[in-house]
Amino acid sequence: MNSPWMIETKQLTKMLGGKPVVDRVDMLIQKGEIYGFLGPNGAGKTTTIRMLLGLARPSSGHIRLLGKDIRRERLDILRKVGSLVEYPSYYGHLSGYENLEAVRRLLDIPKSRIDEVLAIVRLTKDAKRPVKGYSLGMKQRLGIATALLGSPELLILDEPTNGLDPAGILEIRELIKSLPRSQGVTILISSHLLSEVDQMATRVGIISSGRMIFQDSIARLRKQAKSGIRMRVSEPEQAMRLLHGHGFQAAVESELLAFDDLPDAQIGAMVARLSEHGHLIYRIEESAASLERIFLDMTGTEGSL
Amino acid sequence: MLAMMRSEWMKIRRSIVWLLVPISPLLALPAGLLGTSATDGAPWQEALALLAVLHAMLFLPLLTCVFAAMVCRYEHLNGGWKQLLALPVSRTSVYAAKLAVILLLLALVQLLFLLALLMVGILGGFAPPIPWGALLSSVLGGWIACLPLAALQLFASTLFQSFAAPVAAGVVFTMPNMLIANSAQYGPYYPWVQPMLAMIPREHMAFGAFGITSGTLLAVIGVSFAAFFLVGWTYFSRKAV
Ligand SMILES: Nc1ncnc2c1ncn2[C@@H]1O[C@H](COP(=O)(O)OP(=O)(O)OP(=O)(O)O)[C@@H](O)[C@H]1O
Ligand SMILES: [Mg+2]
Repeated sequence: MNSPWMIETKQLTKMLGGKPVVDRVDMLIQKGEIYGFLGPNGAGKTTTIRMLLGLARPSSGHIRLLGKDIRRERLDILRKVGSLVEYPSYYGHLSGYENLEAVRRLLDIPKSRIDEVLAIVRLTKDAKRPVKGYSLGMKQRLGIATALLGSPELLILDEPTNGLDPAGILEIRELIKSLPRSQGVTILISSHLLSEVDQMATRVGIISSGRMIFQDSIARLRKQAKSGIRMRVSEPEQAMRLLHGHGFQAAVESELLAFDDLPDAQIGAMVARLSEHGHLIYRIEESAASLERIFLDMTGTEGSL
Repeated sequence: MLAMMRSEWMKIRRSIVWLLVPISPLLALPAGLLGTSATDGAPWQEALALLAVLHAMLFLPLLTCVFAAMVCRYEHLNGGWKQLLALPVSRTSVYAAKLAVILLLLALVQLLFLLALLMVGILGGFAPPIPWGALLSSVLGGWIACLPLAALQLFASTLFQSFAAPVAAGVVFTMPNMLIANSAQYGPYYPWVQPMLAMIPREHMAFGAFGITSGTLLAVIGVSFAAFFLVGWTYFSRKAV
């Protein structure tokens, strides 16, 4: 009877202004997963998330959260879901503590939980100050605290690092990474940067112009990413001809020798050949942007800019 | 619903509505002391009629508009709606709680107004007995007559998603109250003038829309409240946030 999926959408579609903003999306998220929901600006991430939470109605398609239909058992589901949509919501004239208290009264949980979540996001010290005086990062952390308040089984975070500085991003990332282990939570986290979820997500879904174009493990995505090797040598053109003569595939790109990904042994052999013939090798590097590259290729955002 | 009200209380507790609630009663006090005299034929009724004009014609409808806009304001400001509606609460209870807060604030205003009236009488040395029947039916009637307007303005406040727009609309529609009260034909159906029709004692205003019997007025109020609430609630239940 129990569905293995924490989130399951079937052909989820939302028409806005006559266009499909979310287009037949099948999203599957398993218990305990950290799912990175990726897509460039305007891809339809927030629209999808608002439908998941019952804030907006799908034009067509079905949504099941925790194995239940969102249309029929919305309140039951939302009791076990914590969320942060687009940017943190808060009541500026109230303190951080009072903001949490206003939400707590609707969740029917003990007051002590407020202190717990304040400690988790490290806002205990500032809890008594009005939120309108908080920095963006603090508001973001308060938003996460609010999402955690009901000890949810499912956490839906829409761009929780939006507008944060690198230190803030790192901090939120560490916080999120620590959650599923310590509390058994399933997390959906959206972002327009692959690198941001790369280090915490177990699975990713990539959405572009409303269509889900990839949904699988990070490892799978990495495999698709054609990583390459770059080599800086004294005479690149001559070196390339030499390597071609020995049956290696090589090209020159902006004064560098460029190869597809190769096993260590082959690289070793190439280096030996080059040194034999008096070429100086200054540096060898892996082209690390490759994961981001495949994301850009997939979503085609480069072309649209 | 109780939890919902307690959460609303948290948000309204520290807002400026508390400065607005006593304004009209505070103005009524000196106006009553200066404008009435214990030697009038029926000083209590005179004082009620005098004070209710300004209070019910202007303050009650305007305060209703402001309170309705206020209970939505802190949700409009920083994404409150999406956070609130993604919690395990039904939209109906959210909407009903907002309306209940408006009505409670208005009840408080009416209570303070009654107090101001009593003080005018006591300080002015009006002859007993205090005509409780007339005073209470005026104050309670005024409150009941605010129901349709409260429902209408709450609908406007959720629709416009701003504080200023529904309040501005409320002000514009409140201004012609004196004129509309003169119209026996339209007056009773105009939500902004209904508090005035219900509050001012009939004997003192036997013109225009005041000719309506309290039974008919009550029926009009009941039906329009049901209609406005239904429209507003239906809209809010289906609204995408
Ligand atoms: N009310 C609306 N009417 C028409 N189009 C809309 C409406 N609301 C949103 N859209 C469009 O829907 C698309 C998806 O928006 P959405 O906010 O879901 O994107 P997103 O993936 O969250 O983007 P971002 O990374 O910028 O947050 C956008 O192209 C936007 O222009
Ligand atoms: Mg978005």
